[in-house]
Amino acid sequence: MKVMANHPPLTDVVTPSHVLNNVPIHTAEHADSVPAPEGYWHIALPRWGYSFLLEKRALAVNIGLLIALLASCLLYLSLGSVPLAPSAVIPAVLGKGDMMTAFMVQELRLPRLAAACFAGAAFALSGILMQTLARNRLATPGIIGIDNGATAFAVASIVGMSVSIAPPAMALAGATTAAVLTFGLAAGSGTQGYRFIVAGIGVGAVFGAVTQLMLARVAIDTANAAYPWTVGSLNARPGGAVQLLGVGLALGVIAALALARSLTLLRFKDATASGLGLRVKARRLQILMLSVVLTAFAVAVAGPVGMVALIGPEIARSLSSARHVPIMAATLAGALVMLLADLAGRTLLAPIEIPVGIVTAVIGGPWLLWILMRPQRSRP
Amino acid sequence: MNNSSLSPEQVSPGQVSATPVSPTLATDALCMSYGQRRVIENLDISLPSGQVTAIVGPNGCGKSTLLSGLARLHKPGSGAVLLDSQDIQHLPARQLATQLALLPQEAVAPEGLTVTELIRFGRQPHQGWLRQWSAEDQRVVQYALDAAGLEDLADRPLEALSGGQRQRAWIAMTIAQQTPLLLLDEPTSALDLGHQIEVFELVRHLACHGRTVVMVLHDLASACRYSDNLIAMRDGQIIAQGAPAEVVTPELVRELYQVDCTLLLDPDTGSPLLANVRRVAQPA
Repeated sequence: MKVMANHPPLTDVVTPSHVLNNVPIHTAEHADSVPAPEGYWHIALPRWGYSFLLEKRALAVNIGLLIALLASCLLYLSLGSVPLAPSAVIPAVLGKGDMMTAFMVQELRLPRLAAACFAGAAFALSGILMQTLARNRLATPGIIGIDNGATAFAVASIVGMSVSIAPPAMALAGATTAAVLTFGLAAGSGTQGYRFIVAGIGVGAVFGAVTQLMLARVAIDTANAAYPWTVGSLNARPGGAVQLLGVGLALGVIAALALARSLTLLRFKDATASGLGLRVKARRLQILMLSVVLTAFAVAVAGPVGMVALIGPEIARSLSSARHVPIMAATLAGALVMLLADLAGRTLLAPIEIPVGIVTAVIGGPWLLWILMRPQRSRP
Repeated sequence: MNNSSLSPEQVSPGQVSATPVSPTLATDALCMSYGQRRVIENLDISLPSGQVTAIVGPNGCGKSTLLSGLARLHKPGSGAVLLDSQDIQHLPARQLATQLALLPQEAVAPEGLTVTELIRFGRQPHQGWLRQWSAEDQRVVQYALDAAGLEDLADRPLEALSGGQRQRAWIAMTIAQQTPLLLLDEPTSALDLGHQIEVFELVRHLACHGRTVVMVLHDLASACRYSDNLIAMRDGQIIAQGAPAEVVTPELVRELYQVDCTLLLDPDTGSPLLANVRRVAQPA
């Protein structure tokens, strides 16, 4: 409290500065009487001078997506080669009830569920970061070659060493290499404009070819082991990668929320954002690095399921208002899409499993066409 | 806590209540380059406080580059932009944004924002993660809406506005930034005459209320009509500066734009008008 004494509630202090002399100065008001902008709740802690705005629609969207995600989780744990009753799944998650059910849920399905959720969330979060950075809805890490870079390096570690050494580290190295190359080739035109995207597509194609070349030159068994990497699958999750992704995702979400205000400003042109007090270059670099790291960790778990980075943010934007960049909604939507896609891949043609990357590509392809071809949308 | 070391005499009430002066913006031997090309060469200007300054000149004379230098969008090659004799390169971004607002050329807003939502962005430099909304913010946003005459359009999406209304909304955003200095880059370039006047009258209104406005303009006639101080640039150099009625001469117009003209004085406002504008006859 002593420390805070230097910071009286801001709303009680009306600075008689020259900046204000053209604004009629009313009597000091208390924070709790401040009307919130329309569509928001205003939460004020006048004692510390803190105030927060909570957008009603964002809250509703996030809660809705969270409920959908939880329901999908229950469905995901229930369905499979041995169907379980949802009523039996919940105690099993908590380690109670029938031993066999508990084993199946905890040892077999729960880890894969976590992998799907984390990877989907990370892909979508990195997607919305990159899209905001590039001011282009098509500029996801998958499209600008970062997924393929991460995959190529991870596959190299598998086919080269016969035992996979630290795929997350290799994926990170690959993702960084691809990002640096894409930037280098975009040569000074920065993250905006088509040059960046075209350069990224080229880099992605080269890394894709390198991956195929590596697979073509090794023994068929090794190639088989590395195959899930090339399409994206949750079947071959390297140990430790999921835990690392979980930690990375948690930190990534916190970092993205801390950057939320900057992201909102970055949707304007640089000159406007800079005029409003944003350190554009520094912020852009931070956001780029965050996006690359998230993609790398997600690729290390699930391979290049880049479509989620396109679909998740698109769902989030269509549900949200234009006032903010819907970071949380995109993250939740990404987890939801990945989970449902993997569930479909696991169950539709059982016992044959369709890799999740193929399911999302089958959904994502037409989706991409729709985004490109639908008329200019009007926002509510 | 250092305040305790000040004796009471040093903070006499008289000093505190004295009318504060808008900070001064000036350049000191400013040089700016665009790629390899030197665009601005050794420029020393001082922008009068509380007045409207218009920067005019032919295409490529460096006027927009100068404005971007003043707003710290581009780093000078050498020299400095001084805000109250302090180099703006050394100011924190947010602090600068509370002193100096910029309306870039052809500003674009994210799709779907309403007028009020755009204006609210002007409060950004005054806010933070832990201070997202205050009574002050509320008041200033309302003031900006009123000042720009946008009360009735407050909840309209920007896409639904006319060009002039949209430009006023952008200026309202910079008003909400509550900066004593306002830089406008060709604020009327895409507007028809009626909408131009809307914007210029708003600019005059702001200057009346003590703001220093600097605008880059294409149109010399509007610059004469609406500015107190005119800066004429050519090839990165200033060739004339002062009150429009004093500095604008047929010789200056010829030097700037390679045209001959007859200058008249507006019978109502006394500002110079260009008539019979024609290309300079090339010597054979």
